[in-house]
Parts: sequence; structure tokens; C-alpha cells
Amino acid sequence: MNEANTQTSPEAPGVHPRRFWSVRPVSDRQAGDAVVSNFLLHWFPAKSMRASLGWGYSLWLGTISAALLLLLVISGLPLMFLHVPSVERAYGSVKDIEYVVTFGFWIRSVHRLSAHLMVAAVFLHLARVFLCGAYKNGVPSDQKREWNWLIGVAMFVLTLFLSFTGYLLPWDQLAYWAITVGTNIASAVPLIGPKVRELLLGGRNIDQPTLIRFYALHVIALPGALCALLAYHMWRIRKDGGLASADRSGRLPAPAEVPAGPSKTYTLLGVARGTGPTVRARSIEAPATTVNSVADLTRRAGIVVLGTMAAVSIAAVFYHSPLEEPANPLVTPNPAKAPWYFLWLQEIVTDTTLKLGAFTINGALIGGVLLPGLLILALAVWPWLDRSPAAAAGVWFDRSRRTQNLVFLLLVLAVLALTFIGTFCRGPYWELFWPWQAWPEMPGRI
Amino acid sequence: MSEEPNRRQVLVKLGFGAGVVALGAQAVAALRSLAPNVSYDAPTTVKIGMPAEFPDGMKFLPDERLFVFREGKTFHAISAVCTHLGCTVKAEALPNPEVRTVEGAPLRLTHRYACPCHGSKYSGDGENVSGPAPRPLAWYPITVAADDGQLVVDLARPVPRSFRLTIA
Repeated sequence: MNEANTQTSPEAPGVHPRRFWSVRPVSDRQAGDAVVSNFLLHWFPAKSMRASLGWGYSLWLGTISAALLLLLVISGLPLMFLHVPSVERAYGSVKDIEYVVTFGFWIRSVHRLSAHLMVAAVFLHLARVFLCGAYKNGVPSDQKREWNWLIGVAMFVLTLFLSFTGYLLPWDQLAYWAITVGTNIASAVPLIGPKVRELLLGGRNIDQPTLIRFYALHVIALPGALCALLAYHMWRIRKDGGLASADRSGRLPAPAEVPAGPSKTYTLLGVARGTGPTVRARSIEAPATTVNSVADLTRRAGIVVLGTMAAVSIAAVFYHSPLEEPANPLVTPNPAKAPWYFLWLQEIVTDTTLKLGAFTINGALIGGVLLPGLLILALAVWPWLDRSPAAAAGVWFDRSRRTQNLVFLLLVLAVLALTFIGTFCRGPYWELFWPWQAWPEMPGRI
Repeated sequence: MSEEPNRRQVLVKLGFGAGVVALGAQAVAALRSLAPNVSYDAPTTVKIGMPAEFPDGMKFLPDERLFVFREGKTFHAISAVCTHLGCTVKAEALPNPEVRTVEGAPLRLTHRYACPCHGSKYSGDGENVSGPAPRPLAWYPITVAADDGQLVVDLARPVPRSFRLTIA
């Protein structure tokens, strides 16, 4: 901050001398003004809980996820100008993006890499919050962290649907057979299933109405819903007093309540001096537990967001996105594999067809609808089932939550094992092979 | 007396209620518009060619996703759509065809089928033998078109596995 600026700084609150460059405030007052006067920062609090900002606690996975979403929106915009959502031209337009459009392959690669990383980042964020018990309310106040967890689970599901609808748009073999399998899973639901499938496809067969439906879902309906939930997610974090790790500072002994002064005039000055009758500084606002958001929060957020963007942008130069053969309803690829994050589902729909005497339940219903539905439901209601003490909120691997953390990790391990099998051990006709084993040629089959 | 709602409260409730009903109706209208009223799908009753175009043994029709079998003058057709999740099964010729009685009628089994998506396996008559498939492959009826003598298959009407079409 140069001298000219400090000299000309206006004295009115909420006015920052350099409203477009408020990264290096010289006083607490200026740090607060920086937040208020800068459009990009106005949604931050003036002060942040010191404990919320630690690298090792949150690993900043939520911020990374949000940065990836931002990248997806930015890179999706040019792709929307270039992609033609028609069954005749979608494949050709994506091929053009990949091979003809200047920088097209890079934009597509940024979009695709961000999408894959976002699935991973959002899941890791969810796992971190679970393992820290961060959906718990650490201080007895009006916190509603459990609802924010619920919003988060919904956002995770939306992220998966966004990925699913996204990889359909090139209209290649992956797309066509993913829609075939995906919508048949929907139609395995008793009674309403076939109607749901027809609604998704826009008919009984996969055709133009299908592509335009998934396109509309991918470019506006799902991102709109995700961004709305994201806004609420962020707002709730502020209302809940920062991350759950900060709740411990809230349990520090509060300073004694100041009795009401003799004056009945409740002036601002009285509030500031602590002589107003209702004002009681809670330890959560104590100077020792807080820092100025500018620059302590903004610096770290900047590092994470810009770092994510830089990493993805650079990786996208070297990593080209695959494009399978054009969609061909006449030939199912052998094997036909889903992207890695759905392979565990492909494994369980394979393994869960139940035969009870003459009665058979399709694995599509058990493995494709009931089991994933139960997992999501269990995640959604878990904060209300978790009986551990409030002190376990925002603590990595708290002893009181050992069993549930263990069960959670075992489930994650099972999903990872199924993903591994689906990725490396499944060959033609979905038969098991060792990863190093060569797949056989299949003569005499069509 | 104060228990009774006054006119203002009643009107406010009515107003809010009407607003909720209006929003709900608009949401229903928007959703209902997405359920198709007209099908532009390919017809399910399809002419598949003259009987003479079918060789003895099996012919795969990719557009209809159908295996058509001919044994002399008798025909039958088995769907290639896996009953698990709808991928197209692939046929493999058996080295030693066998004759088995299927639903009361003798049937020469020349192939077996396997699905590339989740590994379901079917025997020559379409019976699901392993993997996640919950049902046998569907059989569809073949008829002869009155106008030009082509074979016609009805892909919307499964028939028992004893179905045969015998032409003169």
C-alpha cells in the first residue's frame, strides 16, 4: 500500500481506497472495508475463524470442487457454441472440436478433465466431512450443519448426473450404450419404471428427442440446480460459523456477561463499549480465534482456485480426450464399459440378480436402483443417526466415531475394489481376466 | 372473538393458497409437456424380406435386433435384446448343434448367445443360463405379408417358444 493511498483513504466505513485491489489492507478497518466494497469479496465475512482456514483440516476439497465447477462452466461455454445437439451432427461436431477447431482439443480436455476431477474432488470432500464428523453441530446454537450435509449429498448426486449427461453428448458408442443401460436401469423400477424411461428418452427408442433432453439437462437444468444448491451451501457455512473445526473455539469459556449500564440509551457507542444490555461478546468472535478475511482467507482461496485452474489447464495440454466410434445401435462394443466412476455400479448390476425359486429380481433393480438408493439414503440421514457427542464435530477420526468411520471406510474400500475389478479385470462378455492377461480373440461370433 | 380469523387473514391465506396452486399447476403443465403424446419411433411391425432371402440356419437383422432362424420351411425369430439392461447379445455358433424339446416342440439349437455389457449367457432357445439376465430372450411371431409375400415380424408381441411359422 503506497503512501498516497493511505493519505487519500476516505474515512467513511465501507469505503476502501482501492476497491479493485484490496488484497493488502494496512489496518483491520481497511480489511473489513475491503470485503464490503469489493464485489468479488462481498459474500465473504469480514473476519474468518482461524480454525476454518487450516490446510490440513479441510484439505480445501470443497474449494477445489467449486473451482472445478467454475472451470466447467467457463470451458462449457465455448463448447456450447461448437457442439450441435443432433444425432446426425453431434459426433461430427465433437470430432471437429477435437481435430479442427483451434484450441478445441484443449477446451474439451479442460472440460473433461475438470469433470472427472470434480467427481473425485466432490467425493473426497464428502468423505472428509464424514470422517471429521463435520456434519455435526459443535456448539449449542442455531447451527444446522446436518442440513448442509444433506445439500452436499444432493450436490454429489447432481455431479454424477452431470457427468452422465455430459458423456452422452458426443453421441459415440460410449454415449449410446450408456443411455441404453442407464435408462433401462430406470425402467427396472416397478410400475413407474417404463414411464420414466419414456420420459427420459422422449419416446421408446433412443433418438433425437433423447439427445436434446440430455443436452438440456446437461447445459441448463442440472448446472442451474447445482449452482443454486452451491449458493445455499456456502451461505449455510457462514451461518454455521465457518467450518466445523472452528466450533471448538466456540466452546472456549465466554467472557462474563456485562450487566446493563444505568443508561437506558442503547447507543452504538454503548454497543462498542459493551455497556449495552444485550451485547455479550462470545468467544467465537474473540480476536485470538479470528483473522481478517482479507488477506488470510482470500490469499488461500486464491492459491487453491488459481492452482486448480493452472493444474487442469496444463494437464489438458498433454491429455487428449478420447472419442469412441460413432453411435451404432447395431453393434454393442465388447466389452461395453462405463466411465471409471460408474464401473462399481456396472459391477453390482452384474452381480445382484436374485433368483428365489421361480421368482427372479433383475439386478438392474437391486444393483442399479435399490442398493445405490440405499447408500445415498443412508448418507443423507446419517447426521440424524450419529449419536456421538458434540465435541466430535470437526475432528479427524474422533474416537467416539471410530465404528462409523470404519464402516464408512470399508464401504468406500468395497466401491474402490469393484471399480478396480471393473476397470482392470473385465474383458469381452464381461468375463474375468487378470489385468496382465491378454483378451482372447472371438471368432465365429457376430 | 379474537380466535376467529378476520377478513384480512382469510384473504391472505386465500391469496397464498391460490399462488401455491397456480405454481403447482404450472409445474405440472411444464412436466406434462415433456411426456410425448405422439410416437415417431420406428414401427414395431416390420417387413424383413422374402422367405427366399433367408438361408438355412440363422440370420441376424441388426436394425430389428433379431435373430431369424430357418429350418427348411419353418421359421422362428428370437430377440437379440438382453433382458437384463438392453444391450445387443452376440451369437456364437455351436460346434455340435443339438435338438431339444422346448415347450413341447422340438427345436434345433445351432447357437448360443452372450451379452457384452454384463456377461449374461443364453442357450440356443433364448433360455437365460448364467449372468444377471432375469428372463429368457423374447420370441417374436413371424407372419407372411398378404400383399407381397414378405416375412413380417411383430416386435411388440412376444410369443411362447413353441412358435413356428411354416410356409408352403
